[in-house]
Amino acid sequence: MSVLDTTDVLDVEGYAAAVRRSLADLGPELVEDLTDDLEADLTDALADERHVAHGRGLLEQFGPPEAYAAELRAAAGLAPAAAHGRRSRLFPDPVEDARRLGRWTLLRLRAQAWWAPVESFLVALRPVWWLVRGWVVYELVALMLGSDRSLWVPPNLAAFLVLAGSVVLSVQWGRGAWFTSRRVSWLATTANVVAVVAVLPLLGWLQDESAERDGIYAGWINGSLGGLDTETIYRETPVDGVVVDGMQVSNLFVYDAEGNPLTDVQVYDDRGRPVRTTYDDGFGQYWFPEGTEPWSFVSRTDADGRARWNVYPLHGAPTSQFTYDDGTQVLPAGTSASMPPWPFAKAPALDAPADVTLGAEADAPSPTSTP
Amino acid sequence: MDTTQLLKGVLDLAVLAVVADEDGYGYDVVRRLRAAGIEEVGDASVYGTLRRLYSSGALTSYVVPSDEGPHRKYYGINAQGRAMLEAQRKDWQEFAGTMGRLLKTEVVR
Repeated sequence: MSVLDTTDVLDVEGYAAAVRRSLADLGPELVEDLTDDLEADLTDALADERHVAHGRGLLEQFGPPEAYAAELRAAAGLAPAAAHGRRSRLFPDPVEDARRLGRWTLLRLRAQAWWAPVESFLVALRPVWWLVRGWVVYELVALMLGSDRSLWVPPNLAAFLVLAGSVVLSVQWGRGAWFTSRRVSWLATTANVVAVVAVLPLLGWLQDESAERDGIYAGWINGSLGGLDTETIYRETPVDGVVVDGMQVSNLFVYDAEGNPLTDVQVYDDRGRPVRTTYDDGFGQYWFPEGTEPWSFVSRTDADGRARWNVYPLHGAPTSQFTYDDGTQVLPAGTSASMPPWPFAKAPALDAPADVTLGAEADAPSPTSTP
Repeated sequence: MDTTQLLKGVLDLAVLAVVADEDGYGYDVVRRLRAAGIEEVGDASVYGTLRRLYSSGALTSYVVPSDEGPHRKYYGINAQGRAMLEAQRKDWQEFAGTMGRLLKTEVVR
């Protein structure tokens, strides 16, 4: 039975491939040696008017590819095809097929007039690929070793040494200086294939990461994340508390219209929510201007027994005086919370006496308001 | 008479003679053999012979790049090939002479 598929031999390439298949048991190098010019020779013979059976089909001019292969083999003084030669057909070697396809493609390209300058240009670029290959291998090694950040260049000396080593290996192999023995050349070939496959995904990924970082940096510069002029505070929830001039305050001091300090003032916002300066339930430590040790605050208790943290000024004591009791920080018995130092004993008095009550104001709208 | 069987014995000599005349690539050698009147030889036999002569050290080989066509593998003769050619040429001429005398005698008788 013929191994030939008639559709295979309609053209020179198919015929040559069929001849090579019939020679496959000789091994790829011998087959290449025997048939490296086969396509060109067949093409020449087809074009030659003096060739036998000129103008007819390939099969009529050259006979079955198997017979052609047998003639080639016999004339070259090689043993006839083994009885099991067909096995290579049943289990085709994809690597060898790919190589053959590559050689065939190159052969076809070399037949084009425009290819020669293109090829010499590409050959001149080969060292660039050696460098890129070394860099790709380095990036992959860095990824495998769990580098959490993606960088185009090595972040430290050790990584730089890995990159340098990888580049040296790649270039030396490219120059044919190293990895020439068959036992290790497969490793270099594998690395080359991996680099070819990985280079584009790797570039895309690094580009994405860089763009993301650039975006964050640009946002920071533009102030959308706080910018350069204020401190940037990252929190999972919006900032709570009272902020004055960008700084969170720990305590509020209230003075009346005459400038006298008020104590035990409850402060609420416009929606009736208690205004709190601290959310640490007494565990935080706060420094006062010119203080010598940090203070912690205590809450007041309302009539219902609930802790109130919006009664100002907050009372407290130096943190060192507190003790722990059942997981909470409390002042020991006999010690009472004291008033932290006031910023000043008296605030400036307002120019007008506060003789209008809230209720009177609500009952008597301002006559200047628009009718 | 089918000369194919005769050719098999002297194809090496014919190919060496063609290549000694001028370096050539595969089909070029086939064409020159045909032009010399050796029509019955198969292309593949010539290519196989070239390859065998090359691997036995009688021929050199080099690749010639081409601007228009594919790169071609050229074969040229070397000293060993020339020695082989001379020896075989001598053998052939002796053999041909012997055959000629034999056949002429036959005819005359």
